Amino acid sequence: MARRVAVVAGGHSKFGKRYDATMRELTAEAYKPIYDEGITQDKIDATVLSYAASQFSGQGAGSALMADYIGLQGKPHLRVESACATGTASLRAAWGMVSAGLYDVMLVLGVEQMNRVSTATATEYMSRAGDMRWEYPYGISFPAFYALMASRYMSEYNMPHDILAKIAVKSHHYGAQNPKAHLPKEVSFEEANNAISICSPLNLYDCSLITDGAAGVVIAAEDRVKEFTDRPMWIKGIGAGASEMKIQDRPSLTTIPGAKYAAKAAYKMAGLEPKDMDMAQVHDCFTIAELIAYEDCGFAEPGKGPEMVENKENYHDGRIPVNCDGGLKSKGHPLGATGISMTYEVMKQMRGEAENASRQIDDVKHGLVHNVGQSGQFVNVFIYERGW
Amino acid sequence: MAERKELYLGYTTDKAMTPFMQDFLENLDEDRLMKSVCTSCSAEYLPPRQHCQKCLSEAKLTEMTESEATLYSYVVVNFAPETLSSKGVYIVAIGEFPSGLKLTAHITNFATMSGPPEVGMPLKLKFAKEADGKMITYRWLV
Repeated sequence: MARRVAVVAGGHSKFGKRYDATMRELTAEAYKPIYDEGITQDKIDATVLSYAASQFSGQGAGSALMADYIGLQGKPHLRVESACATGTASLRAAWGMVSAGLYDVMLVLGVEQMNRVSTATATEYMSRAGDMRWEYPYGISFPAFYALMASRYMSEYNMPHDILAKIAVKSHHYGAQNPKAHLPKEVSFEEANNAISICSPLNLYDCSLITDGAAGVVIAAEDRVKEFTDRPMWIKGIGAGASEMKIQDRPSLTTIPGAKYAAKAAYKMAGLEPKDMDMAQVHDCFTIAELIAYEDCGFAEPGKGPEMVENKENYHDGRIPVNCDGGLKSKGHPLGATGISMTYEVMKQMRGEAENASRQIDDVKHGLVHNVGQSGQFVNVFIYERGW
Repeated sequence: MAERKELYLGYTTDKAMTPFMQDFLENLDEDRLMKSVCTSCSAEYLPPRQHCQKCLSEAKLTEMTESEATLYSYVVVNFAPETLSSKGVYIVAIGEFPSGLKLTAHITNFATMSGPPEVGMPLKLKFAKEADGKMITYRWLV
């Protein structure tokens, strides 16, 4: 019988253009708050220490470097890679090990150092997560994949770009209140709607940021949880899905099939429904991705996501608050750290510890994390339950 | 086709070319776009693949007879990956043939268009070669 597993602690580096740090220092920055809570190296049985793309740093065997740097010599470690879903893929792997009884206490930490190369080079690296034979040669960059979804969504549902701009305005509104955010500034609707085009129909403010950062959480088996906290966040449901490698082969571009599957599986395992969620952290690598996530996670019917935006149901005091930490859009998107950062934010919201009351969601009992790799080839959905 | 054709931006091939891809390119060189058809279950693939996704049997290259499609989706790339950053603006389009098969390629005559592409608009398949004949590709025309 699988053991119940809870998130018992978390740490988060400042996200941004971190020219003062590389992946090793960022790793330490994310682990330090956890250490300060008393979860010292000797209490950790094993780790999953991950980053999405070794091209950025050129470092091989990176998990060994990370483990060594934070004093975890001799502790088993491994790296998991699932593009931008690397963080939650690491957590899924660690959950399996703790749940099965292999280890009791694990540190799961994701990091990415992306700003030591130019934006064009970073775009190049990320585009190589498309099919290298049939997509990459056509210059389908990371934003281009999502622009293909946006064009189709806008056409099928006759949606103006305004909706996407309103999502960007929300993200920046909350990012401006998050001291860990990469770009903590408000943007107006006019700025967001009329910004320079990157991959039309997506403009600058539709795109997430190229960010350096790290985030970590500690998970523990149920009989060990009390040693670490009286406020555990139980992992109640996990769903994982996958979509076709080539975007042209997807049956639809107005949904991410793997995300829909992952969400359903997570709800089923948790015995909960979309209406039971008090908040969600969704993978808004682009504004269109957030919109599609509303529908894939069951918060809106297909084609009805724009109504959620218009009615501001996605704000911290709305029906289903989404990304009230600024999301990938404003908080930033260090690929391998993102899924763990989302998890950290749910824990923070459940504990009522958001830095500003104006982004604190009231009484979070259940929270959802939706983390997508590349354009949907990997998806993990986690559902968490407050344990106090 | 004596020498291998290198494909980079907008030109289909890959560096680790296989005999199957070489065959695909030789046909393309003669203005034939090839899909592949599974020798066991008849599943069709475009772009072609050597192994059937369903039963892993061999899939044989077979000429596409369709050349007209409709625009399924598109992106106007204003900010390109590094390798293409000298190419200026380009449009990547997914075209859907009447058979339901789809193909991703560039729309290269967009300067003739009066406005942005529209999903559902007609596309025509076009073959193209670089002047030295070493690089070949397929494109969409509007």
